[in-house]
Amino acid sequence: MSDKVVTQLVDEAVRRHYTRRDIVRRGAALGLSAPAIGMALNAARPLPAFAQDASNPLGVDPAAGLEVVIFDGGFGNEYAVNVNTMYNALYPDAEITYTATIRLGPQFQPRFVAGNPPDVMDNSGAENLPIATLVAEGQLADLADLLAAPAYDTEGSSFIDTLVPGSQETGVFSGAQNVLLYAMTVYGIWYDQTWFAEQGYTYPTTWADMMSLCEDIKAQGIAPWTYQGQYPQYMRLLFDQMVPKQGGLEALVALDNLEDGAWLSEPVVAAASALRQLYDNGYILEGTEALSHTDSQAAWLQGQAAFIPCGTWLENEMSDLIPEDFVMVVNPSPSLEGDVVPFEGVGAWAGENFHVSEQGKNVQGGKEWLRLLFSKEGARFFSENTKAPTVVVGAADGLDLGVPFQSAADAIANAGDYTFASRYADWYPQLSTDSRDQFGRMMTGQASVEEALQAIQETADAVKADDSIPKYTREI
Amino acid sequence: MNHGKYRLIIPFLAPALLLYAVFVLYPYASAVKNSFYQWRGVSANKTYIGLDNYRRLWDDDNFRIALSHNAQLLIVLPLVTISLAMLFAALFVQGGRGVRGADFYRVVFFFPQVMSVVIVGVLWQYIYHPNSGILNSGLRAIGLASFAKPWLGSAQYALWAVAAVVIWQSVGFYMVLFVAGMQSIPWDFYEAARLDGASRFAQFKDITLPLLWENIRVAIIYIAIAALDLFTIVAVMTEGKPNRASDVVARFMYEQAFTNSMFGYASAIGVVLLILTFCLAILLLILSRRERLEF
Repeated sequence: MSDKVVTQLVDEAVRRHYTRRDIVRRGAALGLSAPAIGMALNAARPLPAFAQDASNPLGVDPAAGLEVVIFDGGFGNEYAVNVNTMYNALYPDAEITYTATIRLGPQFQPRFVAGNPPDVMDNSGAENLPIATLVAEGQLADLADLLAAPAYDTEGSSFIDTLVPGSQETGVFSGAQNVLLYAMTVYGIWYDQTWFAEQGYTYPTTWADMMSLCEDIKAQGIAPWTYQGQYPQYMRLLFDQMVPKQGGLEALVALDNLEDGAWLSEPVVAAASALRQLYDNGYILEGTEALSHTDSQAAWLQGQAAFIPCGTWLENEMSDLIPEDFVMVVNPSPSLEGDVVPFEGVGAWAGENFHVSEQGKNVQGGKEWLRLLFSKEGARFFSENTKAPTVVVGAADGLDLGVPFQSAADAIANAGDYTFASRYADWYPQLSTDSRDQFGRMMTGQASVEEALQAIQETADAVKADDSIPKYTREI
Repeated sequence: MNHGKYRLIIPFLAPALLLYAVFVLYPYASAVKNSFYQWRGVSANKTYIGLDNYRRLWDDDNFRIALSHNAQLLIVLPLVTISLAMLFAALFVQGGRGVRGADFYRVVFFFPQVMSVVIVGVLWQYIYHPNSGILNSGLRAIGLASFAKPWLGSAQYALWAVAAVVIWQSVGFYMVLFVAGMQSIPWDFYEAARLDGASRFAQFKDITLPLLWENIRVAIIYIAIAALDLFTIVAVMTEGKPNRASDVVARFMYEQAFTNSMFGYASAIGVVLLILTFCLAILLLILSRRERLEF
């Protein structure tokens, strides 16, 4: 009886191009036992039959073509071309179809809808495909076998053991590693070391010191602060490290998990109120709210403002406009009164989202491509080429990548376990848009801290109540 | 005889009809269909949910904000654009007498029309730049610093700053439309009026305006339809920011689809927008109907 159901399921799965996940779901719905579902899986979507050995641990078909799509953004795409070369050195018969573009969404969305997606993608940038949605639709392969596979050029280690601990947490969705992250990012407050030394200033480690330093700077006729005015989420990203420093990681996780009243909790109010003081005391460069991200960063480089919040992509992004004696360094947010985490706690996460398509023609090949990208050889090429650190431990050892790179590396080292990254904005685009807008209102005096947080809480509640939006949770 | 005529017409029309069907009618039809589904747009997976998307639309405050902006623009854009275009056209050609340098001005006013909307949007972003933009710098230079605003960053001004650009770009086109209309009015009407001592304004009111009505009517309908769209200029200049203060329905629809992955909902918004545009066009055609003057 169950045999017949299995046969039916296999037929259905082949006919309708089910993913392995679909088959499991459908099999469970039909009341099949786990071994029966396993049979259906093997019959409908057999795993690669190629021998898995030390040189080919993922069982890649050496002759199968591979399609690679790369976001051609701030990091360029030479590093990916390098990985293509590495792949072809291992598999000379594999033909690689390669695209580097900044418009991933418009170009590749139809391919996912048609069930014919590229095998491996760097899905990043402003026009990327929404990752949480791809996960919800079962489009991304589970990378568990890649994590467990031996590393490409670190003898005796598995793939995951060669990466910075914790760096891949943001790629986990409901327990499955669907996304791997590559470039290490530190998010904090930046200033010009040269100018600070001239003035005899030191970076304030408490918010009270920050306020009194701002008063001094303002007295000189220079704006103490600016931010990426058209994109107030840059202030929100700073808030995202101030909240857990004030209230512990649980205060941030409560926001991610859409807990009731999380946006009105004490640590959240404390962090938002501190930022709001910058507006109340007139510390923000006039006209900031109308500046684009690059405009505000340029104003900061020209010395119109002393501090700006940003991530470590800042140096790359502004490389053409950095004055010769300008030495930018990144720092954690100053401590608020009653912080439970030391000053060194900082916003840090890995960026650039790499994933393999569940419905790709060469799933194992896609994973193998990532194994090469995340090798020491692949990562060292990336860091040399882009002056940015990767998640691959020790890959950039001995390279001289400059002061900003070093300040970011120091920030991560000093923070130890206290690195923080929020998830809610990636999981729930509605919450991302609305928190951005409300931070904009709050930082321009159009809404009080309470009004802005109340409005974000209402959006969070609406997202939580909306059954059509897939939900995610994280643990502490 | 007729048979031969169709043999000629069909091959000429067929490609255009086919393209129209594939790239206009089919997407319309599939948008209507998608509006009854929950669809995230990254797989072929769709769930039928009946009218839920329309119910969501009815309750969506952000949609209402965007729609109210379209409604305001629907009144302001035709009024201002047509008034300015008429004024310039009348100054340049009415009754065969134009102001000095009229030909030069005609080219200058028409010029923005030949530029792409995206370029116009980016250009004006520089003009509106809060610190180094020509607008604020100019205001400060002539001692009007208090009028210098963070235009596109301000909830109060952003929508109207964008509207001003739309008007700036489209006035030239309607000016040319009216110029053509005015040039087809026989000059002796004006000559007779002048002999009777009619002022330039009286000539405009009693001769030009009634005889130009067909052109004005076309202009109203064109601009009204454009006022319900405005996707490109808003997406380029403000993305509806700050806090949706410059949002319009078409851009809101884009956000639902491509940011929030709610393609079914976005389709429902598109369908509502289509119906609104259609009703508006018919309404305007009926309201603006007048007896045609032969001359």
